[in-house]
Amino acid sequence: MKRKHETGPDVAEDDLQPLRRALRQMPTPEPRAGFVERALAQAAVQQRSSQVASLPGRLRNFVLRWETWAGAALGGAVAAALTLMLLRPVDTTVSPQQVALTLHEMRNVDVLIDSERELKGATIHIVASGSIALDGFDDERQIDWQADLDRGSNLLSLPVVARAAGKGRLVAVIEHEGRTRQVAIELSVVDPKA
Amino acid sequence: MKRMAWLKRTRGSLTAGTGDAAEFERLLREHVPALYRSAYRWTGTVDRAEDLVQQLLMRLYPRLPELRKLDRIRPWALRVMYRIFVDELRRERASPVEFGMDASADAEQDSGEGDAWLDTAPGPAELTEQELTQERVVRAWERLGEEHRAVLAMHDIEDYTLPELAQIMDIPLGTLKSRLHRARARLRELLTAERLAAADRV
Repeated sequence: MKRKHETGPDVAEDDLQPLRRALRQMPTPEPRAGFVERALAQAAVQQRSSQVASLPGRLRNFVLRWETWAGAALGGAVAAALTLMLLRPVDTTVSPQQVALTLHEMRNVDVLIDSERELKGATIHIVASGSIALDGFDDERQIDWQADLDRGSNLLSLPVVARAAGKGRLVAVIEHEGRTRQVAIELSVVDPKA
Repeated sequence: MKRMAWLKRTRGSLTAGTGDAAEFERLLREHVPALYRSAYRWTGTVDRAEDLVQQLLMRLYPRLPELRKLDRIRPWALRVMYRIFVDELRRERASPVEFGMDASADAEQDSGEGDAWLDTAPGPAELTEQELTQERVVRAWERLGEEHRAVLAMHDIEDYTLPELAQIMDIPLGTLKSRLHRARARLRELLTAERLAAADRV
């Protein structure tokens, strides 16, 4: 939209036009591919990090050091403990043993994965069972995709929807070069009208 | 911390994010390319433009409730980005920003003297359109100070009016007019130098 500028008498305005035209024809690049998405996501992550940083004590540093786990069996046990730590910052009012949702409620369940090195092409499996589903994937109980993990903290925010009263379970499995680590989160859905 | 991509299926398409993040994206996404172009014109490099926009978005995210209420997000965001830009210049110079050599002229304009911004001095008319080749304009622009680039970009390229710019830059109208005048004068000097250099090359 061309606007009238308050740049002085008409003669001065006329004099400016060639320069303005030249300036407007200067090449200006568009953002690099993926920049807009990354910048928007980074803004959200930074805000989330600030919220986590404001939490007290050990909750602030909840991590999932799956690269250092000793083995699958032991890993499972550690995962259970870490799962509690993972969930408490998200909702500190619920029992650390379980996440409680009301029927039809949607809540983001955060999984924070701390990797000691960069991992290219890790496979992430998410399995939702029982009374819950992943928002937007009602008909798919298992979802797999590949992602690169950065060295350090990687946040995976899973939108969980309470579809029925009763117990539900959310399992996240991360696999890389034959090594597998798993976290399981127990959820219970309550129908307030029941 | 890296936020891992999570694909949410909505009405058959895949979109990223949920909740506040999704709303933030919905409100800002269409403006980010234009803000990036402004940042690029001010800073002159892709990396610095990206840094500036990234800082802007991080600054805006906690202000989502304010963003929701805005009729026009872009000028408001541009104002925040300009403030970040000026703060960076201050840090880089480790002293309060003085816009080129023109601090005294700003004071003069603020005191109500003169209408130097009216651009009556010889200048662009002497530079014919044929002489304003893209190559020369780009070279002169690159040599222009960042603060001059900012005011020229927003007024002469992006068409913000002086009252809008006075708000964005948070300066009195008179100061803005002086600054704009000096920015154009400096650009003319650089363009003239480019023209002479080209003549020498010939």
